[in-house]
Amino acid sequence: MNDTLIDAHGLTKTYSGKPALRGLNLAVPRGSICGFLGRNGAGKTTTLKLLLGMLRPDAGEIRLFGEAVLSEAASIAARRRIGFVSEDKELYPFMSVGQTIRFTRAFFPCWRRDLEEKYLELFRLPLNKAVPKLSKGMRTQLMLLLALARGAELLMMDEPTSGLDPAMTEDILRALADLAASGETTIFFSSHQLAEVEQICDRVCIIDEGQTVINGELDELKSQYRRILLTFDGKPPSALASLTGIDHLRQRGRTASLLTHGNVDALVERARDLGPTSVEVRPVTLKELFLDHVRGE
Amino acid sequence: MNLRINFSSGVPIYLQLMEQIKHAVETGAIRASEQLPTIRKIAEELTMNPNTVARAYRELEREGIVEVRHGLGVFVAGQQSSTTKTAEIRKAGEVLRIAMEKGMALDLSESELRRVFEDELAHLQEKAAATRRRT
Amino acid sequence: MLLYKAWLETRWRFVFLVGSVLLIWLTPLWITAMGVHSGVPATRLWMAIQMGSVLLFIFTAIYLAGSGINTQGIYTFTPGFHGSMLFTLSLPISRLRLLFVRAGLGALQTCILVVIMAVYIVHLRPESTSALQALIYLTRTIVCTMAIYAFSVLLSCVLDEIWQVTGAFIFWTAVFLLQAKFDWVAQISPLRGMSLNCYPITAPMPWEAVLGSLALAVLLLWASVLVVQRKEY
Repeated sequence: MNDTLIDAHGLTKTYSGKPALRGLNLAVPRGSICGFLGRNGAGKTTTLKLLLGMLRPDAGEIRLFGEAVLSEAASIAARRRIGFVSEDKELYPFMSVGQTIRFTRAFFPCWRRDLEEKYLELFRLPLNKAVPKLSKGMRTQLMLLLALARGAELLMMDEPTSGLDPAMTEDILRALADLAASGETTIFFSSHQLAEVEQICDRVCIIDEGQTVINGELDELKSQYRRILLTFDGKPPSALASLTGIDHLRQRGRTASLLTHGNVDALVERARDLGPTSVEVRPVTLKELFLDHVRGE
Repeated sequence: MNLRINFSSGVPIYLQLMEQIKHAVETGAIRASEQLPTIRKIAEELTMNPNTVARAYRELEREGIVEVRHGLGVFVAGQQSSTTKTAEIRKAGEVLRIAMEKGMALDLSESELRRVFEDELAHLQEKAAATRRRT
Repeated sequence: MLLYKAWLETRWRFVFLVGSVLLIWLTPLWITAMGVHSGVPATRLWMAIQMGSVLLFIFTAIYLAGSGINTQGIYTFTPGFHGSMLFTLSLPISRLRLLFVRAGLGALQTCILVVIMAVYIVHLRPESTSALQALIYLTRTIVCTMAIYAFSVLLSCVLDEIWQVTGAFIFWTAVFLLQAKFDWVAQISPLRGMSLNCYPITAPMPWEAVLGSLALAVLLLWASVLVVQRKEY
């Protein structure tokens, strides 16, 4: 029983001259729900495709379920235990819901009929309806069914709730929470919806321009990161920028905003030494953490 | 129990959950030796991560507020004298009122005051959690 | 199951082609019905069928190769359209198997159509043909058609469907024009290998064309395998 289901080091990939991934690291432990955040073009879809063998990395190592994925055979072995939901939720336009399920079922000897029926009923998917006639929400649910009924230990999704209304989004999140509660599935998904990630994920990985900038447990990150707001009489002293322990610094007029983690008290003391008129320490939301790390200010 | 979590807050979710459960115990919404909802139930009701719920329950157990009875579930611990608790709550209220009056005297608005209070509270909780982790 | 999927994908195409072939079977009946037959020499009709059949084989081979393994793939030349290829690739199947099943079914369908048409042609032949001759004709036609099919399979591994079809037509038209000019092209051209101007119908057996087509088909399929295994989606 290996503990880290996805373990990637130094993933590098260049697409038509542009570097998409530059030494990306990723670790997703068993049983977690890990949110994968990044701006458009940061490399989220590229990473997912690399993990699934649709692309080959220029450099770096990928281990799935503890095994290095070095050949197509290894990738196929891993894919037997993985369920994938693509961003566009495209399935075969010449098949119906029922035919798609029968088709997919044939590739997984450990297919769970009970889960297939459970999700068919839960999502109320009409068996005879042709796939192109389904709404995006129902296609998402069908893809989710196909991914889960195969008894996948690892579920990978590319923006699962994009284009879905709030009610359907909540249904999907609830299905994920339920899934995690049964303890059999680890979930890794990319998203733009910070609110959802905060709600359902216990881990988060933020990437920017092809590199990992944050990777850890969400609650831990909220515990460790603090924003220190300083107000000065005039412009903030230049010594401020050279203080150690600052993750991100923004100055505007007479105020300075410091993002830090780790030894917050020490930094507060050093900041106090610079003679600010007010010092305020605040917790940091995921949104702030995200924006500060990807806006490249 | 009426649980409400602010997922977007900077306060870790497991801490929020712990606070709300503790509050429910203190106000008597859930009494000693009563069973708390299962991890799965809370995760389902609030549509949140069950690992986080599990963590909250673990920390509450470590603080002695709840006890985990294997195979049966999670229960509120022991017999807490409600009268001592109410007295303690009243005393804390008095101390806080004095602090707040001082704060108002500094010309802080109500929302500013609330923010300062929440920040200090979060800071204290973190310190306590960190201390517990080290021991 | 892959076969099932490939069948569902191509069945209407196949039915359309079978229907077209059967319609062509009825041509002499129409001609008779229109009372034109008496004025048209048998050889003229024969030539028309000959050309028509070659065109039909080519068209069938190209059309049934379709988008090959790239079914609803990520269209490189029509940007913004993503397809079910990602779903297929996330399944635990090797790309080789994907290619073989899809290409295999298309090949089978093409052969069926060639057989239907070839039987008809032999039946229509002004002078009678022995069974052996008919069989030889059938075999060489199938081999040559497979070369055309294999070329389209390779193209479909890298191009979107519309471009594959267009590209294939342009290529074989070029071959047709070239074989009229250059003898060596005509020697090995699959188009000539299919034509009725050869054994057993009128002229000697076009060995070079047939063997050339066989070699070409194998080569192109092998190339397709390589492309598909290396391709990035």
